[in-house]
Amino acid sequence: MATVWSGLGPAVTQAAVRGGRLIPRDVRTRFSSSDAEKRSGFAVAFERHADLQRQREAEIPDLGGRKVTAQKIDSFASLLRRSPLMQMGPTKDKIVIGKIFHIVGDDLYIDFGGKFHCVCRRPAVDGEKYQREVRVRLKLVDLELTSRFLGAKTDTTLLEAEAALLGLLDVKDTNQRD
Amino acid sequence: ENDLLLTDPLKHPDFFHISELFSLKDLFDARVHFGHKRGCRNRLMEPYLFGCRLDQDIIDLDQSILHLQQALNFTAHCAYRKGIILFVSRMRQFAHLIEQTAKECGEYAHTRYWQGGLLTNSHVQYGTGVRLPDLIIFLSTLNNIFEQHVAVRDAAKMNIPTVGIVDSNCNPSLITYPIPGNDDSPSAINLYCKLFKMTILRAKDKRRQMDLLYGIQKKLTK
Repeated sequence: MATVWSGLGPAVTQAAVRGGRLIPRDVRTRFSSSDAEKRSGFAVAFERHADLQRQREAEIPDLGGRKVTAQKIDSFASLLRRSPLMQMGPTKDKIVIGKIFHIVGDDLYIDFGGKFHCVCRRPAVDGEKYQREVRVRLKLVDLELTSRFLGAKTDTTLLEAEAALLGLLDVKDTNQRD
Repeated sequence: ENDLLLTDPLKHPDFFHISELFSLKDLFDARVHFGHKRGCRNRLMEPYLFGCRLDQDIIDLDQSILHLQQALNFTAHCAYRKGIILFVSRMRQFAHLIEQTAKECGEYAHTRYWQGGLLTNSHVQYGTGVRLPDLIIFLSTLNNIFEQHVAVRDAAKMNIPTVGIVDSNCNPSLITYPIPGNDDSPSAINLYCKLFKMTILRAKDKRRQMDLLYGIQKKLTK
């Protein structure tokens, strides 16, 4: 970007860019030091808009609530927006990876990153392979099982999520981790 | 000098550097912003909510950070002045963790069934001259039937300040320093226990330091 305007003073570049018009071709070739080539259409437009963007960024330090400092502090809104829960959308029939953190007999307590865990029955296939710290694939039904009963003021919650156990996590599938 | 020992920390807004202990990212990763479903929401929690996404309430972490800082600062000052702190929660899955935390801090915990007159009838139940806690920390303000824990009301009756984690289905009115946040995920409760433990230990260390300092000063002036 700087190569084309390098020979020119700052005032001229500002004027040229702000005016939104190109510097006449003879002036450009006279002042460009390293490249005597003619720049056509897209290249010129790209450089002009890159300059414009750099200027805009210099004037307004933080755009849209996202401060970019040396430590890269994100706002809560942007963290939330990019979080897997938001990106997932409605919970019905979404496939996630969970980890078993507790076992009581045939019941597996699986945590998949939501507010609550889900409880699934040990499947008949490969039953002994489901132990603590094993990762499994789940198909979610609901993030929290709640229901409003007759005559109640608020919903009654079961403090559990619901999911169907699809099977163990194959090592090949780990590329798709959220 | 005893006065200086006690009043000097009150002049600083953050004497114990509480704001260094946690960040927004820590709270976010510990899933503190997850609330219950919209149907479970308590009307009084609406100012603390960021919004509702597909029927699940999301707690505003910007507000939670401010409340958490104030609450931790208050517990630090209580611990600095050698107050008795009581951890209360009726969540059975975290009872052991909370009791361990209290033990490591050198403070007290009550995670079992709360008998009616523990605070209000203490002279009869425990004998005369019982010292009641100076601060009660609730890691969950609800009991096992989703009603407000009796200790919240009793602490207010006995003029005991309370710090409490309020989820989107809790009533924050009677709690002195409410902290809007998730109280159901193990990662969130682990984070709170860690933060409370660090503040209390930090405050107690600071008190020991200041005692030594003022002790040496007194010796020098004599």
